Amino acid sequence: MGDLFRSIINIISILAIPLVLLLFLLWGFFKKVKVYEVFVEGAKDGFNTAVRIIPYLVAMLVAIAIFRASGALELLTTLLAPVTSLIGMPPEALPMAFMRPLSGSGSLGLMTELMKVHGPDSVIGVLASTMYGSSETTFYVLAVYFGAVNIKNTRHAVPVGIIADVVGMLAAVWIVRVLFF
Amino acid sequence: MLNYIWMGLIAIGILVAAGNDIYNETQNTYRNGVPMDAVVQFDESSANDLTAKGKINMPADAFRAFYDLPAATDVHQPIIITTSSSGEKLFTLPVDDSSPKHWKEMTKGALAKDKLSGRIVAYTVADDAKSAHVRLEFEPIRFVKMKAVTQSALDIASTAVSIALGLIGVMALWLGVMKVAEEAGLLKALTRLLTPVTKRIFPDVPTDHPAIGAIIMNTAANMLGLSNAATPIGLKAMEELNKLNPKAGTATNAMVTFLAINTGGLILIPATAIAVRVSVGSANPGLIIGTSIVGAGCATIAGVLASKILQRLPVFKRDLVVVEKEASHG
Repeated sequence: MGDLFRSIINIISILAIPLVLLLFLLWGFFKKVKVYEVFVEGAKDGFNTAVRIIPYLVAMLVAIAIFRASGALELLTTLLAPVTSLIGMPPEALPMAFMRPLSGSGSLGLMTELMKVHGPDSVIGVLASTMYGSSETTFYVLAVYFGAVNIKNTRHAVPVGIIADVVGMLAAVWIVRVLFF
Repeated sequence: MLNYIWMGLIAIGILVAAGNDIYNETQNTYRNGVPMDAVVQFDESSANDLTAKGKINMPADAFRAFYDLPAATDVHQPIIITTSSSGEKLFTLPVDDSSPKHWKEMTKGALAKDKLSGRIVAYTVADDAKSAHVRLEFEPIRFVKMKAVTQSALDIASTAVSIALGLIGVMALWLGVMKVAEEAGLLKALTRLLTPVTKRIFPDVPTDHPAIGAIIMNTAANMLGLSNAATPIGLKAMEELNKLNPKAGTATNAMVTFLAINTGGLILIPATAIAVRVSVGSANPGLIIGTSIVGAGCATIAGVLASKILQRLPVFKRDLVVVEKEASHG
Protein backbone atom coordinates (compact mmCIF):
# COMPACT_ATOMS: atom_id res chain seq x y z
CA MET A 1 0.00 0.00 0.00
CA GLY A 2 2.70 2.43 1.07
CA ASP A 3 4.88 1.38 -1.85
CA LEU A 4 2.08 1.74 -4.37
CA PHE A 5 1.26 5.19 -3.03
CA ARG A 6 4.93 6.11 -3.21
CA SER A 7 5.35 5.02 -6.82
CA ILE A 8 2.16 6.77 -7.92
CA ILE A 9 3.31 10.01 -6.31
CA ASN A 10 6.77 9.53 -7.79
CA ILE A 11 5.36 9.25 -11.30
CA ILE A 12 3.17 12.30 -10.75
CA SER A 13 6.09 14.39 -9.54
CA ILE A 14 8.21 13.34 -12.52
CA LEU A 15 5.47 14.19 -15.02
CA ALA A 16 4.10 17.27 -13.24
CA ILE A 17 6.41 19.94 -14.62
CA PRO A 18 6.45 18.85 -18.29
CA LEU A 19 2.67 18.39 -18.21
CA VAL A 20 2.02 21.73 -16.55
CA LEU A 21 4.28 23.48 -19.06
CA LEU A 22 2.56 21.80 -21.99
CA LEU A 23 -0.96 22.25 -20.68
CA PHE A 24 -0.61 25.87 -19.62
CA LEU A 25 1.14 27.02 -22.75
CA LEU A 26 -1.15 25.06 -25.10
CA TRP A 27 -4.23 26.34 -23.31
CA GLY A 28 -2.91 29.88 -23.68
CA PHE A 29 -2.09 29.24 -27.33
CA PHE A 30 -5.61 28.07 -28.14
CA LYS A 31 -7.07 30.97 -26.19
CA LYS A 32 -5.17 33.20 -28.64
CA VAL A 33 -2.70 34.44 -26.07
CA LYS A 34 0.60 35.53 -27.64
CA VAL A 35 2.40 32.92 -25.58
CA TYR A 36 5.99 33.92 -26.27
CA GLU A 37 5.44 37.62 -25.75
CA VAL A 38 3.40 37.13 -22.58
CA PHE A 39 5.91 34.61 -21.19
CA VAL A 40 8.78 37.05 -21.64
CA GLU A 41 6.71 39.85 -20.14
CA GLY A 42 6.07 37.76 -17.01
CA ALA A 43 9.59 36.38 -16.78
CA LYS A 44 10.99 39.91 -16.65
CA ASP A 45 9.94 40.19 -13.01
CA GLY A 46 12.07 37.21 -11.98
CA PHE A 47 15.21 39.27 -11.63
CA ASN A 48 13.63 42.02 -9.56
CA THR A 49 11.97 39.60 -7.18
CA ALA A 50 15.18 37.68 -6.60
CA VAL A 51 17.18 40.85 -5.97
CA ARG A 52 14.49 42.22 -3.65
CA ILE A 53 14.86 39.16 -1.42
CA ILE A 54 18.59 39.66 -0.79
CA PRO A 55 18.49 42.08 2.20
CA TYR A 56 15.82 40.04 3.96
CA LEU A 57 17.67 36.80 3.41
CA VAL A 58 21.00 38.23 4.57
CA ALA A 59 19.43 39.61 7.76
CA MET A 60 17.68 36.37 8.61
CA LEU A 61 20.43 33.92 7.70
CA VAL A 62 23.16 35.92 9.49
CA ALA A 63 21.17 35.99 12.74
CA ILE A 64 20.53 32.25 12.50
CA ALA A 65 24.17 31.52 11.65
CA ILE A 66 25.40 33.48 14.69
CA PHE A 67 22.94 31.66 16.91
CA ARG A 68 23.98 28.26 15.56
CA ALA A 69 27.74 28.87 15.71
CA SER A 70 27.62 30.06 19.32
CA GLY A 71 26.62 26.69 20.76
CA ALA A 72 23.32 28.14 22.02
CA LEU A 73 21.41 25.20 20.56
CA GLU A 74 23.42 22.74 22.65
CA LEU A 75 22.71 24.83 25.74
CA LEU A 76 18.99 24.94 24.94
CA THR A 77 18.98 21.18 24.44
CA THR A 78 20.62 20.55 27.81
CA LEU A 79 18.13 22.83 29.55
CA LEU A 80 15.00 21.42 27.89
CA ALA A 81 15.90 17.72 27.67
CA PRO A 82 14.39 16.84 31.09
CA VAL A 83 11.09 18.48 30.10
CA THR A 84 10.80 16.84 26.70
CA SER A 85 11.72 13.38 28.02
CA LEU A 86 8.48 13.58 30.02
CA ILE A 87 6.46 13.41 26.79
CA GLY A 88 8.53 10.53 25.46
CA MET A 89 10.82 12.52 23.19
CA PRO A 90 14.36 11.12 23.18
CA PRO A 91 16.87 13.88 24.10
CA GLU A 92 18.94 13.00 21.02
CA ALA A 93 16.08 14.16 18.80
CA LEU A 94 15.67 17.49 20.57
CA PRO A 95 18.33 19.44 18.62
CA MET A 96 16.48 18.36 15.47
CA ALA A 97 13.31 20.03 16.74
CA PHE A 98 15.14 23.31 17.30
CA MET A 99 17.16 23.17 14.10
CA ARG A 100 14.32 22.30 11.72
CA PRO A 101 12.65 25.75 11.63
CA LEU A 102 16.00 27.58 11.61
CA SER A 103 18.14 25.90 8.99
CA GLY A 104 17.43 23.50 6.16
CA SER A 105 21.02 22.41 5.64
CA GLY A 106 21.65 22.26 9.40
CA SER A 107 18.70 19.98 10.03
CA LEU A 108 19.61 17.83 7.02
CA GLY A 109 23.08 17.33 8.54
CA LEU A 110 21.64 16.56 11.96
CA MET A 111 19.16 14.04 10.55
CA THR A 112 21.90 12.28 8.61
CA GLU A 113 24.16 12.11 11.66
CA LEU A 114 21.41 10.85 13.96
CA MET A 115 20.57 8.08 11.51
CA LYS A 116 24.21 7.13 11.07
CA VAL A 117 24.79 6.93 14.82
CA HIS A 118 21.52 5.33 15.94
CA GLY A 119 20.49 3.50 12.75
CA PRO A 120 17.84 4.71 10.29
CA ASP A 121 15.21 2.26 11.54
CA SER A 122 15.66 2.92 15.26
CA VAL A 123 13.21 5.12 17.19
CA ILE A 124 15.57 8.07 16.92
CA GLY A 125 16.26 7.47 13.23
CA VAL A 126 12.59 7.22 12.30
CA LEU A 127 11.73 10.17 14.52
CA ALA A 128 14.49 12.38 13.09
CA SER A 129 13.47 11.70 9.51
CA THR A 130 9.78 12.18 10.33
CA MET A 131 10.61 15.51 11.95
CA TYR A 132 12.57 16.52 8.89
CA GLY A 133 9.74 15.46 6.58
CA SER A 134 6.95 17.06 8.58
CA SER A 135 8.06 20.66 8.57
CA GLU A 136 9.59 23.43 6.52
CA THR A 137 12.42 25.81 7.32
CA THR A 138 10.05 28.40 8.77
CA PHE A 139 12.45 31.33 9.13
CA TYR A 140 13.82 30.89 5.63
CA VAL A 141 10.31 30.81 4.17
CA LEU A 142 9.39 33.91 6.18
CA ALA A 143 12.41 35.86 4.92
CA VAL A 144 11.99 34.86 1.28
CA TYR A 145 8.21 35.22 0.98
CA PHE A 146 7.92 38.47 2.90
CA GLY A 147 11.12 39.79 1.34
CA ALA A 148 9.67 39.36 -2.13
CA VAL A 149 6.94 41.90 -1.38
CA ASN A 150 8.96 44.14 0.94
CA ILE A 151 6.99 43.26 4.06
CA LYS A 152 8.86 44.41 7.14
CA ASN A 153 6.11 44.22 9.74
CA THR A 154 5.30 40.52 9.76
CA ARG A 155 2.58 40.83 12.47
CA HIS A 156 1.57 37.42 13.79
CA ALA A 157 3.50 35.42 11.17
CA VAL A 158 6.36 34.45 13.50
CA PRO A 159 4.20 33.15 16.38
CA VAL A 160 2.02 31.33 13.84
CA GLY A 161 5.08 29.70 12.28
CA ILE A 162 6.45 28.69 15.67
CA ILE A 163 3.09 27.25 16.78
CA ALA A 164 2.94 25.22 13.55
CA ASP A 165 6.49 23.97 14.14
CA VAL A 166 5.90 22.98 17.76
CA VAL A 167 2.68 21.16 16.84
CA GLY A 168 4.44 19.45 13.91
CA MET A 169 7.31 18.24 16.10
CA LEU A 170 4.98 17.01 18.87
CA ALA A 171 2.76 15.28 16.30
CA ALA A 172 5.87 13.59 14.85
CA VAL A 173 6.86 12.27 18.29
CA TRP A 174 3.31 11.11 18.96
CA ILE A 175 2.73 9.32 15.65
CA VAL A 176 6.13 7.60 15.73
CA ARG A 177 5.51 6.44 19.33
CA VAL A 178 2.03 5.17 18.52
CA LEU A 179 2.82 3.41 15.25
CA PHE A 180 6.22 1.88 15.76
CA PHE A 181 7.44 1.65 19.31
CA MET B 1 7.64 40.49 16.71
CA LEU B 2 10.34 39.65 14.21
CA ASN B 3 12.34 42.55 15.66
CA TYR B 4 12.51 40.77 19.01
CA ILE B 5 13.25 37.34 17.57
CA TRP B 6 15.94 38.70 15.27
CA MET B 7 17.63 40.73 17.99
CA GLY B 8 17.28 37.77 20.34
CA LEU B 9 19.00 35.34 17.96
CA ILE B 10 21.96 37.70 17.48
CA ALA B 11 22.30 38.84 21.11
CA ILE B 12 21.86 35.37 22.62
CA GLY B 13 24.22 33.97 20.00
CA ILE B 14 27.04 36.38 20.77
CA LEU B 15 26.57 36.21 24.55
CA VAL B 16 26.45 32.43 24.59
CA ALA B 17 29.54 32.33 22.37
CA ALA B 18 31.38 34.57 24.84
CA GLY B 19 30.18 32.47 27.77
CA ASN B 20 31.28 29.26 26.08
CA ASP B 21 34.72 30.69 25.32
CA ILE B 22 35.21 31.84 28.91
CA TYR B 23 34.09 28.45 30.20
CA ASN B 24 36.44 26.63 27.82
CA GLU B 25 39.29 28.91 28.89
CA THR B 26 38.78 28.24 32.60
CA GLN B 27 38.32 24.50 32.08
CA ASN B 28 41.13 24.39 29.53
CA THR B 29 38.87 22.24 27.35
CA TYR B 30 41.41 22.32 24.54
CA ARG B 31 44.37 21.49 26.78
CA ASN B 32 46.44 24.52 25.90
CA GLY B 33 50.02 24.07 27.06
CA VAL B 34 49.49 20.38 27.89
CA PRO B 35 51.64 18.18 25.63
CA MET B 36 50.07 15.05 24.16
CA ASP B 37 51.96 11.78 23.85
CA ALA B 38 51.27 9.77 20.73
CA VAL B 39 52.72 7.22 18.35
CA VAL B 40 53.13 8.09 14.69
CA GLN B 41 53.17 5.31 12.07
CA PHE B 42 54.87 6.49 8.88
CA ASP B 43 53.38 5.58 5.50
CA GLU B 44 56.21 5.55 3.00
CA SER B 45 58.58 8.13 4.33
CA SER B 46 60.97 7.43 7.14
CA ALA B 47 60.95 9.05 10.56
CA ASN B 48 64.19 10.80 9.72
CA ASP B 49 63.02 12.54 6.52
CA LEU B 50 62.81 16.34 6.50
CA THR B 51 59.11 16.03 5.63
CA ALA B 52 57.53 12.86 6.91
CA LYS B 53 53.91 11.81 6.46
CA GLY B 54 52.23 9.35 8.75
CA LYS B 55 49.26 8.59 10.93
CA ILE B 56 48.56 9.03 14.61
CA ASN B 57 46.75 5.95 15.86
CA MET B 58 45.27 6.37 19.28
CA PRO B 59 42.66 4.26 21.07
CA ALA B 60 39.39 6.02 21.88
CA ASP B 61 39.98 5.72 25.63
CA ALA B 62 43.31 7.51 25.58
CA PHE B 63 41.89 10.36 23.50
CA ARG B 64 38.83 10.58 25.72
CA ALA B 65 40.94 10.65 28.87
CA PHE B 66 43.30 13.31 27.54
CA TYR B 67 40.55 15.79 26.72
CA ASP B 68 38.16 14.52 29.43
CA LEU B 69 35.36 13.93 26.87
CA PRO B 70 32.13 12.03 27.49
CA ALA B 71 32.72 9.86 24.41
CA ALA B 72 35.23 9.39 21.62
CA THR B 73 36.10 7.04 18.77
CA ASP B 74 39.46 5.54 17.83
CA VAL B 75 41.77 8.11 16.26
CA HIS B 76 43.44 7.51 12.90
CA GLN B 77 44.65 10.98 12.08
CA PRO B 78 47.05 11.86 9.26
CA ILE B 79 50.02 13.95 10.41
CA ILE B 80 52.77 15.80 8.53
CA ILE B 81 56.04 16.33 10.36
CA THR B 82 58.52 18.86 9.04
CA THR B 83 61.97 19.71 10.29
CA SER B 84 63.06 23.34 10.07
CA SER B 85 66.62 24.41 9.22
CA SER B 86 67.31 24.97 12.91
CA GLY B 87 66.39 21.34 13.57
CA GLU B 88 63.08 22.11 15.24
CA LYS B 89 60.32 19.67 14.40
CA LEU B 90 56.83 20.98 13.61
CA PHE B 91 53.64 19.09 12.91
CA THR B 92 50.41 19.72 11.01
CA LEU B 93 47.19 17.73 11.36
CA PRO B 94 44.96 18.15 8.29
CA VAL B 95 41.55 17.84 9.93
CA ASP B 96 38.70 16.44 7.83
CA ASP B 97 35.50 14.49 8.36
CA SER B 98 37.34 11.40 9.58
CA SER B 99 39.12 13.34 12.31
CA PRO B 100 37.89 13.35 15.93
CA LYS B 101 35.00 15.73 16.53
CA HIS B 102 36.91 17.54 19.24
CA TRP B 103 39.74 18.35 16.86
CA LYS B 104 37.30 19.49 14.23
CA GLU B 105 35.91 21.93 16.76
CA MET B 106 39.42 23.05 17.71
CA THR B 107 40.26 24.01 14.11
CA LYS B 108 37.67 26.79 14.40
CA GLY B 109 39.99 28.46 16.91
CA ALA B 110 43.21 27.56 15.11
CA LEU B 111 45.38 29.85 13.00
CA ALA B 112 44.92 28.02 9.71
CA LYS B 113 41.66 26.73 8.31
CA ASP B 114 41.00 22.99 8.60
CA LYS B 115 44.32 22.15 10.21
CA LEU B 116 45.89 22.04 13.64
CA SER B 117 49.58 22.61 14.05
CA GLY B 118 52.23 22.89 16.73
CA ARG B 119 55.71 21.89 17.86
CA ILE B 120 57.09 18.47 18.61
CA VAL B 121 58.92 18.68 21.93
CA ALA B 122 60.11 15.07 22.12
CA TYR B 123 60.78 12.71 19.22
CA THR B 124 61.92 9.13 19.75
CA VAL B 125 62.38 7.14 16.57
CA ALA B 126 61.84 3.37 16.61
CA ASP B 127 64.69 1.11 15.42
CA ASP B 128 63.17 0.47 11.99
CA ALA B 129 62.40 4.21 11.51
CA LYS B 130 58.83 3.19 10.60
CA SER B 131 57.32 4.76 13.70
CA ALA B 132 58.14 7.30 16.36
CA HIS B 133 57.02 8.27 19.83
CA VAL B 134 56.17 11.94 19.76
CA ARG B 135 55.16 14.53 22.29
CA LEU B 136 52.97 17.14 20.62
CA GLU B 137 52.55 20.68 21.82
CA PHE B 138 49.52 22.13 20.04
CA GLU B 139 49.21 25.78 19.12
CA PRO B 140 47.06 27.52 21.74
CA ILE B 141 43.37 27.23 20.87
CA ARG B 142 41.27 30.13 22.12
CA PHE B 143 37.97 31.91 21.37
CA VAL B 144 36.70 28.97 19.30
CA LYS B 145 33.05 30.06 19.45
CA MET B 146 33.74 33.75 18.82
CA LYS B 147 35.82 32.92 15.78
CA ALA B 148 33.13 30.52 14.60
CA VAL B 149 30.47 33.23 15.00
CA THR B 150 32.53 35.68 12.94
CA GLN B 151 33.31 33.15 10.24
CA SER B 152 29.78 31.84 9.83
CA ALA B 153 28.24 35.31 9.84
CA LEU B 154 30.55 36.41 7.02
CA ASP B 155 30.18 33.15 5.09
CA ILE B 156 26.40 33.05 5.26
CA ALA B 157 26.06 36.67 4.14
CA SER B 158 27.51 35.73 0.77
CA THR B 159 25.64 32.42 0.72
CA ALA B 160 22.39 34.36 1.13
CA VAL B 161 23.18 36.38 -1.98
CA SER B 162 23.97 33.26 -4.01
CA ILE B 163 20.71 31.67 -2.86
CA ALA B 164 18.72 34.72 -3.94
CA LEU B 165 20.54 35.11 -7.25
CA GLY B 166 20.17 31.37 -7.87
CA LEU B 167 16.42 31.93 -7.84
CA ILE B 168 16.48 34.30 -10.82
CA GLY B 169 16.32 31.61 -13.50
CA VAL B 170 13.52 29.48 -12.06
CA MET B 171 11.70 32.62 -10.99
CA ALA B 172 11.73 33.91 -14.55
CA LEU B 173 10.58 30.56 -15.94
CA TRP B 174 7.62 30.16 -13.60
CA LEU B 175 6.58 33.78 -13.60
CA GLY B 176 6.47 33.59 -17.39
CA VAL B 177 4.36 30.43 -17.35
CA MET B 178 2.06 31.90 -14.70
CA LYS B 179 1.55 35.04 -16.75
CA VAL B 180 0.47 32.95 -19.73
CA ALA B 181 -1.87 30.94 -17.50
CA GLU B 182 -3.32 34.14 -16.11
CA GLU B 183 -3.95 35.71 -19.52
CA ALA B 184 -5.51 32.49 -20.77
CA GLY B 185 -7.94 32.49 -17.85
CA LEU B 186 -6.55 29.19 -16.62
CA LEU B 187 -5.85 30.45 -13.12
CA LYS B 188 -9.43 31.61 -12.83
CA ALA B 189 -10.72 28.20 -13.90
CA LEU B 190 -8.49 26.50 -11.34
CA THR B 191 -9.65 28.96 -8.72
CA ARG B 192 -13.33 28.30 -9.34
CA LEU B 193 -12.75 24.60 -8.79
CA LEU B 194 -11.59 25.06 -5.23
CA THR B 195 -13.64 28.10 -4.25
CA PRO B 196 -15.60 26.27 -1.50
CA VAL B 197 -12.29 25.59 0.32
CA THR B 198 -10.41 28.77 -0.45
CA LYS B 199 -13.18 31.19 0.48
CA ARG B 200 -13.11 29.76 4.00
CA ILE B 201 -9.32 29.88 4.34
CA PHE B 202 -8.92 33.26 2.63
CA PRO B 203 -12.13 35.20 3.32
CA ASP B 204 -10.40 38.55 2.60
CA VAL B 205 -9.42 37.61 -0.95
CA PRO B 206 -12.01 37.83 -3.75
CA THR B 207 -12.75 34.26 -4.84
CA ASP B 208 -11.67 34.78 -8.45
CA HIS B 209 -8.52 36.76 -7.67
CA PRO B 210 -5.33 35.49 -9.39
CA ALA B 211 -3.72 35.18 -5.94
CA ILE B 212 -5.96 32.21 -5.19
CA GLY B 213 -4.85 30.44 -8.36
CA ALA B 214 -1.20 30.96 -7.47
CA ILE B 215 -1.81 29.78 -3.89
CA ILE B 216 -3.44 26.58 -5.17
CA MET B 217 -0.57 25.90 -7.57
CA ASN B 218 2.02 26.64 -4.92
CA THR B 219 0.40 24.23 -2.49
CA ALA B 220 0.12 21.54 -5.17
CA ALA B 221 3.80 21.96 -6.12
CA ASN B 222 4.83 21.83 -2.46
CA MET B 223 2.84 18.66 -1.86
CA LEU B 224 4.54 16.97 -4.81
CA GLY B 225 7.94 18.04 -3.50
CA LEU B 226 8.62 20.31 -6.52
CA SER B 227 10.26 23.06 -4.50
CA ASN B 228 11.88 24.52 -7.63
CA ALA B 229 8.45 25.41 -8.92
CA ALA B 230 6.79 26.00 -5.55
CA THR B 231 8.94 28.94 -4.43
CA PRO B 232 8.54 31.11 -7.58
CA ILE B 233 4.80 30.43 -7.71
CA GLY B 234 4.54 31.12 -3.98
CA LEU B 235 6.28 34.45 -4.45
CA LYS B 236 3.90 35.23 -7.29
CA ALA B 237 1.04 34.50 -4.88
CA MET B 238 2.57 36.89 -2.34
CA GLU B 239 2.80 39.60 -4.99
CA GLU B 240 -0.84 39.09 -5.90
CA LEU B 241 -1.85 39.19 -2.24
CA ASN B 242 0.19 42.36 -1.84
CA LYS B 243 -1.94 44.03 -4.52
CA LEU B 244 -4.85 43.72 -2.06
CA ASN B 245 -2.72 45.10 0.78
CA PRO B 246 -4.00 48.45 2.03
CA LYS B 247 -0.79 49.13 3.97
CA ALA B 248 2.49 48.56 2.15
CA GLY B 249 5.18 46.91 4.27
CA THR B 250 2.75 45.25 6.66
CA ALA B 251 1.58 41.65 6.33
CA THR B 252 -2.12 41.05 5.74
CA ASN B 253 -4.16 38.28 7.36
CA ALA B 254 -4.27 36.37 4.08
CA MET B 255 -0.48 36.53 3.73
CA VAL B 256 0.09 35.11 7.19
CA THR B 257 -2.40 32.30 6.58
CA PHE B 258 -0.70 31.51 3.28
CA LEU B 259 2.68 31.48 5.03
CA ALA B 260 1.25 29.12 7.66
CA ILE B 261 0.31 26.66 4.92
CA ASN B 262 3.82 26.95 3.50
CA THR B 263 5.78 26.64 6.74
CA GLY B 264 3.61 23.72 7.80
CA GLY B 265 5.35 21.88 5.00
CA LEU B 266 2.41 19.83 3.76
CA ILE B 267 3.93 17.17 1.54
CA LEU B 268 2.94 13.80 0.12
CA ILE B 269 6.43 12.40 -0.36
CA PRO B 270 9.25 13.69 1.87
CA ALA B 271 11.74 12.97 -0.91
CA THR B 272 14.86 14.38 0.79
CA ALA B 273 14.36 12.47 4.02
CA ILE B 274 13.71 9.25 2.07
CA ALA B 275 16.84 9.76 -0.04
CA VAL B 276 18.98 10.19 3.09
CA ARG B 277 17.40 7.10 4.64
CA VAL B 278 18.33 5.10 1.54
CA SER B 279 21.90 6.41 1.65
CA VAL B 280 22.43 5.35 5.27
CA GLY B 281 21.10 1.88 4.55
CA SER B 282 17.55 1.85 5.90
CA ALA B 283 15.65 -1.43 5.48
CA ASN B 284 12.44 0.51 4.91
CA PRO B 285 13.12 4.06 3.68
CA GLY B 286 9.48 4.76 2.83
CA LEU B 287 8.41 4.08 6.41
CA ILE B 288 8.25 7.77 7.18
CA ILE B 289 5.81 8.75 4.40
CA GLY B 290 2.76 8.18 6.59
CA THR B 291 4.25 9.67 9.71
CA SER B 292 5.44 12.78 7.84
CA ILE B 293 2.01 13.33 6.30
CA VAL B 294 0.48 13.18 9.78
CA GLY B 295 3.15 15.48 11.25
CA ALA B 296 2.96 18.05 8.47
CA GLY B 297 -0.83 17.82 8.36
CA CYS B 298 -1.08 18.62 12.07
CA ALA B 299 1.44 21.45 11.70
CA THR B 300 -0.44 22.97 8.77
CA ILE B 301 -3.84 22.77 10.44
CA ALA B 302 -2.40 24.22 13.66
CA GLY B 303 -0.73 27.01 11.69
CA VAL B 304 -3.89 27.98 9.80
CA LEU B 305 -5.98 27.90 13.00
CA ALA B 306 -3.34 29.90 14.88
CA SER B 307 -3.28 32.52 12.11
CA LYS B 308 -7.07 32.82 12.32
CA ILE B 309 -7.02 33.20 16.10
CA LEU B 310 -4.00 35.47 16.42
CA GLN B 311 -5.18 37.88 13.71
CA ARG B 312 -8.03 38.87 16.05
CA LEU B 313 -5.69 39.87 18.87
CA PRO B 314 -5.62 43.65 19.36
CA VAL B 315 -1.81 43.67 19.25
CA PHE B 316 -1.76 42.34 15.71
CA LYS B 317 -4.97 44.01 14.56
CA ARG B 318 -3.61 47.44 15.44
CA ASP B 319 -0.85 47.22 12.83
CA LEU B 320 -3.41 46.89 10.05
CA VAL B 321 -4.95 50.30 10.67
CA VAL B 322 -3.99 52.57 7.80
CA VAL B 323 -2.86 56.00 8.89
CA GLU B 324 -4.01 58.77 6.53
CA LYS B 325 -0.53 59.90 5.64
CA GLU B 326 0.69 56.42 4.79
CA ALA B 327 -2.36 55.72 2.68
CA SER B 328 -1.67 58.71 0.47
CA HIS B 329 1.77 57.33 -0.21
CA GLY B 330 0.14 54.16 -1.48
